[in-house]
Amino acid sequence: MSGTITRRSVLALAAASGTLSGWLGRLAAHAAEQPAAKSCILLWMSGGPSHIDTFDLKPTAPINIRGEFRPINTAVSGIQISEHFPKFAQLMSHAAVLRSMSTVESDHQLATYHLHTGYQKRAGGVAFPSLGALVSQELGSQDFPLPNCVCIGAGPRHATRSGFLGPNHQPLDVTNPERGTDFLEPLTSQAEFNRQYDLVRRFNSSFEQSYGAEAARAHTAALDRAVRLMTAEQKQAFDVTREPDNIRDRYGRGAFGQGCLMARRLVETGVRFVEVMLGDGVGWDTHRDNFPRTKTLSTEADLGMAALIEDLRDRGRLDSTLVIWMGEFGRSPQTTSGGGRNHWARAWSSVLAGGGIRGGQVIGRTDAEGAEVVERPIRVTDFLATICTILEIDYTRSNRAPGSDRPIPIVDNTKPISIIKELF
Amino acid sequence: MSRPCFLFLVMFGLLACCEVNRVAANDATAIANTIDRHIQRRLDLEKAPQAAQSQDAEFLRRVFLDLHGVVPPVERTRRFLASENSHKRTELIDELLASPRYGEYMGDLWRGRLISPLANEQRVQSQRFADWLADRFNRNDGWDRIAYDLVTAAGKIEENPAVTYLIEGRHPLSVTDLTDLSSRYFLGVRLNCAQCHDHPFVEWKREDYWGMAAFFAPIQTPNRPKMVYTAGVQDDPRMTLASVQNADAIEGFQSQPPTFLGGETLQTVGNARLRAALAEWMTSPENPYFARAMVNRMWWQFFGRGIVNPVDDMHSGNAPSHPELLEDLSRQFAESGFDLKLLCRSIVQSRTYQQTSRPGPQPNAEDQLFARMPVKVLTAEQLYDSLVQILGPPAKTPAIDARLGARHEFCQFFASDGDPDPTRYDRGIPHVLRLMNSPQFAGRSISTLTSRRGGSEFSEEDAANELFLTILARYPTDQDLELFRDWRRRAGEPFDGAYRELAWALLMSSEFALNH
Repeated sequence: MSGTITRRSVLALAAASGTLSGWLGRLAAHAAEQPAAKSCILLWMSGGPSHIDTFDLKPTAPINIRGEFRPINTAVSGIQISEHFPKFAQLMSHAAVLRSMSTVESDHQLATYHLHTGYQKRAGGVAFPSLGALVSQELGSQDFPLPNCVCIGAGPRHATRSGFLGPNHQPLDVTNPERGTDFLEPLTSQAEFNRQYDLVRRFNSSFEQSYGAEAARAHTAALDRAVRLMTAEQKQAFDVTREPDNIRDRYGRGAFGQGCLMARRLVETGVRFVEVMLGDGVGWDTHRDNFPRTKTLSTEADLGMAALIEDLRDRGRLDSTLVIWMGEFGRSPQTTSGGGRNHWARAWSSVLAGGGIRGGQVIGRTDAEGAEVVERPIRVTDFLATICTILEIDYTRSNRAPGSDRPIPIVDNTKPISIIKELF
Repeated sequence: MSRPCFLFLVMFGLLACCEVNRVAANDATAIANTIDRHIQRRLDLEKAPQAAQSQDAEFLRRVFLDLHGVVPPVERTRRFLASENSHKRTELIDELLASPRYGEYMGDLWRGRLISPLANEQRVQSQRFADWLADRFNRNDGWDRIAYDLVTAAGKIEENPAVTYLIEGRHPLSVTDLTDLSSRYFLGVRLNCAQCHDHPFVEWKREDYWGMAAFFAPIQTPNRPKMVYTAGVQDDPRMTLASVQNADAIEGFQSQPPTFLGGETLQTVGNARLRAALAEWMTSPENPYFARAMVNRMWWQFFGRGIVNPVDDMHSGNAPSHPELLEDLSRQFAESGFDLKLLCRSIVQSRTYQQTSRPGPQPNAEDQLFARMPVKVLTAEQLYDSLVQILGPPAKTPAIDARLGARHEFCQFFASDGDPDPTRYDRGIPHVLRLMNSPQFAGRSISTLTSRRGGSEFSEEDAANELFLTILARYPTDQDLELFRDWRRRAGEPFDGAYRELAWALLMSSEFALNH
């Protein structure tokens, strides 16, 4: 990242020099017109989608490996994907398919944690922050009334938390996008709420005066932030029913499609990180009936994801918004007797779109059966360091967990990291 | 009190049953004095003032939360505050320790600690385990015996719930998991960094880690997680670290012979007795870690900060703040047969524990010197149980998925990650939004409470008294009442539901969220 001038550094420089005249001023003014920083939307495919049936088809492999789906051409010649992603196929020029993901955890919970935080979960270890919480810390603004990290849809939350980064970066959960975010409206009238909250403030300041505890200040601060969100104009971003019907239809009327639409609204409002989950925790975990289930899920994913990328593009936000499609691992090349596929972590696919990356390409390659990576293996740390780089986050920066004197880098660099340079 | 004298008194007490409590109480008083002496000596040295005694209400709520994990029931509060008995604090401590709720609370805490955080939360079957622990704590079995039974557990869950500790973890290989948990909770040391590398500042090396891990290598659990519950735990004496399959997938793996931490390597014992050998070494009164680890953890639980801090990071480079105190308490704990009720009783009886948490001139220094009682944050479990105590069972709420039980869901949602600092408030917007605006507790339950305790037959002052007593376990001060009256005046027009609003405000207050 050294050598590039970020918007923030320009503004800081301009502010420090006390003037906005001259070239620096023009540069700062130009930077101010740009979106403040990049945003990221993670489309999380719970359960682990089969790479061979989505983005890494093996049409020439034996039937018990290649499965039932056929490849189709995309808008980029030479790149083929599953026939159940027809809309996304048309947007291939904006996206890169990463076919050489190679990871180590093949238990849902542990892999979900590893992919979200970049660290393996250990008994008695540090509680690591999720990517969303890290983005919230690095790119979010403290005086923004919405949380900088929002997590939409039913699915695992154990890996999305802020860990040692604490309450300011805890994701706000939306379980059902149709309903908006839960508990944002008071149980009483707003006037009554304000009145009774005023009473809370009075009691709290009297308690704080007597006890002077840091915990009391932190508690009051959390209440204040929540109340500010309740009354913020920007909370309308949580209300997808404000969108015209034709837009809502384009995303698909299911929870995932409407979640993608909410993600777009949130990002436009200034939220830095939104995760949308598809699959309610086990959806893509197709140990049985892999093909009918993968087909249904693919169609739903295709609709929401394609509408999101298209909509972001049409509204001029695609370059500043990185969209990630991924699950916790892939699925075994061999199909089982029940027509299913088992967990497979050592070779699988993910997709990146927008965020200013070079699209229209496939990165990495697996063998003829989709079992092993034969070109450019991407480990969890390579992947997350690349995401950070796209988002203009210095992934080598360290945090300190309270009660520990060990610096913890944003991305674990105990083993050398290999950034996916082809994307830039 | 010397050991022979203590034994004599115990034997005498067994003959005259009613004497037992008195003996224990005397002994607790002696240990409490030890605590206060060490704390005071350090304060004198630093020329720091000690805080005043806590008020009755402060002590009552604190000791209920610390021994039962819940705020006191309103009737008990009323009775305690009204009593003029000069021994009422000691009697309350006796009552709390004798109640089965003590063991249930301790069991709940240790369930949370001993079940691996890597366990699949959708699947975990831990109630039987919590019940087993509760029973052991209530019978006041020595901590050495409880730990021994956990480390050596075998068989099926329904026959021996202690095996839950061994089988809820990362399948099928729980060796590293058990090494981490056992060293952390029974020995008070963090070994996990040494799994992969020698620690730069700490004496633990990779061979120490794998030497301990070797004790768990013979444990056999079925490959398929679901089978665990039917098959249970057996040892296969032929299994050693060297025979672990796919060992290269385990980070930092090293094949080592079973070696006690900082001690000798086992040569003669057959593998079938490996875990028994570990447990015997661990729970021996001579073990340098075992008593210290538990004393430090219990201290941390009560004071929000260990004598060695962080609580599980005991090593030569991390000195205790009060070395002689830790030394004396550990020795007395081992001499008492690892008597946990005695340890709890001694701590909560001490003047140090019964100080106020109101700060003096130098709050930060005071926390390190235990010169005032630190303010702790209610844990998720304490918060839930207290809300239920005050408001009754939760209302069904469509937005809350309580398929695994309302308490389980609530505690998952509000839980802190890892082994958090008890004095740090780390909840955010999602949590406080839910407390303020979810009908689960903040809705009709509050109206019901206020119709019972703030109805029209009460005078204004009585109604406020009732709500303060029920929610905060104290009477309102004059300042509180003045604040409430002023708030009503400023709100302008007289309005209905002032007591409902008062109840809501008290439940959302920092005072309720914290244990001061």
